[in-house]
Amino acid sequence: MKVSKQIQDLITKRLKGHSLDAPFYLSPEIFDLDIKEIFSKHWIQVAIDPDIPEPGDYVTVDIGRNSIVILRDDDMSVRAHHNVCRHRGARLCSEHKGSVGNLVCPYHQWTYNLTGELIYAEHMGDQFKHSEHHLKSVHVENLAGLIFICLAEVPPQDFSVMRDAMMPYLLPHGLQDCKIAKQVDLIEDANWKLTMENNRECYHCATNHPELTASLFEYGFGYQPSPNNIEQVEEFTRLAAERSAQWESANLPSQEIDRLDDLITGFRTQRLPLDRGGESQTLDGRVASGILLGDFDRADLGGLSFWTQPNSWHHFMSDHIVSFSVFPISAEKTLVRTKWLVQKDAREGIDYQLDNLTAVWNATNDQDKMLVELSQKGANSDAYQPGPYSPYTEGLVEKFCKWYIDRLTESIDVIDSSDSVEPITFIKSIKS
Amino acid sequence: MQKNSQQRINSERFWDALPPPWNSDIQETLTCIQVRVETHDVKSFIFATPDNSGFTFRPGQFITLELEIEGETINRCYTISSTPTRPHTLSITVKRVPNGSVSNWLHDNLKAGDSVRVLGAAGEFTCVTFPADKYLFLSAGSGITPLMSMARTHFDLSDDRDITFIHSARTPDDIIFERELALIASSQQNFRTCFICERLGARRDWHGPTGMLSLSALTLMAPDFMEREIFVCGPAPYMKAVRSMLDAAGFERQHYHEESFSFENLPEEVREGVLEAVLEAHQEDAPNTELEVAALTPSTEVGALALLSEVTSFKVMFQKSAREIVCGAQQHVLEAARATGVRLASSCAQGMCGTCKVKLISGQVAMQHKGGIRQREIDQGMVLLCCSKPLTDLVIDK
Repeated sequence: MKVSKQIQDLITKRLKGHSLDAPFYLSPEIFDLDIKEIFSKHWIQVAIDPDIPEPGDYVTVDIGRNSIVILRDDDMSVRAHHNVCRHRGARLCSEHKGSVGNLVCPYHQWTYNLTGELIYAEHMGDQFKHSEHHLKSVHVENLAGLIFICLAEVPPQDFSVMRDAMMPYLLPHGLQDCKIAKQVDLIEDANWKLTMENNRECYHCATNHPELTASLFEYGFGYQPSPNNIEQVEEFTRLAAERSAQWESANLPSQEIDRLDDLITGFRTQRLPLDRGGESQTLDGRVASGILLGDFDRADLGGLSFWTQPNSWHHFMSDHIVSFSVFPISAEKTLVRTKWLVQKDAREGIDYQLDNLTAVWNATNDQDKMLVELSQKGANSDAYQPGPYSPYTEGLVEKFCKWYIDRLTESIDVIDSSDSVEPITFIKSIKS
Repeated sequence: MQKNSQQRINSERFWDALPPPWNSDIQETLTCIQVRVETHDVKSFIFATPDNSGFTFRPGQFITLELEIEGETINRCYTISSTPTRPHTLSITVKRVPNGSVSNWLHDNLKAGDSVRVLGAAGEFTCVTFPADKYLFLSAGSGITPLMSMARTHFDLSDDRDITFIHSARTPDDIIFERELALIASSQQNFRTCFICERLGARRDWHGPTGMLSLSALTLMAPDFMEREIFVCGPAPYMKAVRSMLDAAGFERQHYHEESFSFENLPEEVREGVLEAVLEAHQEDAPNTELEVAALTPSTEVGALALLSEVTSFKVMFQKSAREIVCGAQQHVLEAARATGVRLASSCAQGMCGTCKVKLISGQVAMQHKGGIRQREIDQGMVLLCCSKPLTDLVIDK
């Protein structure tokens, strides 16, 4: 993609180990670049198997200006198509979720089967070739129930690296046999990168997330040793090693894999012990659902976390899974979609209480929303300048930013100044 | 040998080497040259052409007779019981039906030397186009005729195919072609017959099974029925029972073939004849007209009777709009509604787009959709009116 010299400079001269320059959080032009180069060319985590359990079930997601319909075909495979009728472009599915026999345009009833083939169009004459008007399909990958799409014609080929590494970690949790107990869509008035950066560190956890840190050890995500915490950190390290050995012997991989910034399809995973009850991310650390996932026969399996670049993270416990996907809406608005999953036979009110299941992350999400919105406000200030990341607790934030900047660097072409039609003005100067 | 004969019988080229087949639009005058008594109430009528040209058709097809009965022209379809491998003659095998005007007329009047006007062979119910290593022929009553034609063809061509022929009859004395089937079975290695009779009747020494055909009986008689290409002909309730039996067993519909007559595809004059017969039956308004009998009795006039039942009609009530229409049993509800001026949202009219999806409050329909509706929607009582034919009176939430 062609970008102005100013944007190229921002990308190439980004100060390592520091937060991004303000335009990355503010500029509509950079937002467009993010949609085109990041969200339209990489594997984006958009849905999960339990969103579309049965043939004909669909879910729609917006990636920038594109609406994509992800659906379950009759052979149970997952397919994704642009949600655009090939007749005059009307949107086929206007709901976020639903179920269809075939995909029928509400405008003139052009009818597509679930593979996207146009199977019926009235009044188009004998010469009309249905085969030339099939839906535009989108690449789909299903990783143990996590559904990824890629809008690029040729998607990144290294999805298989993530798949091969992650299958042994994820499969025992049986995501595909879960149901969605609750979905919450949260709109944050902040740039999507602030949402992601916030997710990639726990520097802020102890003071901001009392509910989350009831069970989550803050030490698991990087910590600067000090005389005050040395005993606790050592105790955590000892516990992690002990539990890890137990899990490994039960065929539950736990070792950290960090490929956040050296793969195009970047990801990271690790299984860590939990505090208090030691079973789940709940207020008391005990399981929220009486029906364990997969074939688990014990509940204290810690929390398996899985982060993907650029837009998702997931926590897999013995009894439930919390899955987060991030969708940019505009430069300063972001959708955070959270799903709580329990085993599909678990009964609400009997095997689990919804309030208890969702308490930790509902509270944590609200707290994070407040924090990233504070950051967004700060980025709008004339006084904002990129600040340094903690080498102890913000290494993963740096990896997120490095991945992002690397991906942009690889894709940009600078516009000759002679090509530049209009001068680029950054929001900040407009606002002042 | 087996291989060659298989290639022959399922090869269109083989059949095309014969004189060109009848087009169902071509009418010919045939001469009845013999009447054979098959059972106490079944006769075969054998025909020849006046110029001795041969008959070409596919085993399983039907012809349409145009008869003058009491000054009226009546058209009736009959499946051919003879085989194209004996091309000089053609036969139909007709069972008397109580109050059946045409079947009784044939039994009482048609004799050797008479001329009959006939429309050429038609129909898709034939083993020729469905090659398989193993067949299962299921018939009841005079529904045996198209299957007999197929069995005779395999026999005549020395195509010793693995065929199990299961025939249902009222009593042992009602089994049509019993001895001929026994002869075929004794001459071929892989041809088997089984007869199942509703009751013993006069032949108290009958030691075949009695009762109705059931899944357990079928499993005993043809344990490998799931692997067979199945051809079925008999009265509508029989075929319906077989269908649900096979559905329950999970048998794949693509390997299931039944004799059925589509009203729309028949020549105009045949349709008129059928409509007249129906009107006549309705005018008599007697409970035991041919219509009711058709549902209960195995009949040679399978085709005609199927047609009669097809034009039976049902009441369809659109509850919200408080409109009531009449819909033919063989008519799609949407089409009937449209004809009566009831406007419903619809588009493809083929069961694909789902635009005409409605809730069926009461009644039953036969629906043949093409993906426009999901099973769970069907389970919730939804139907697509464009591809649903009524089986009962209906109440629709619209």
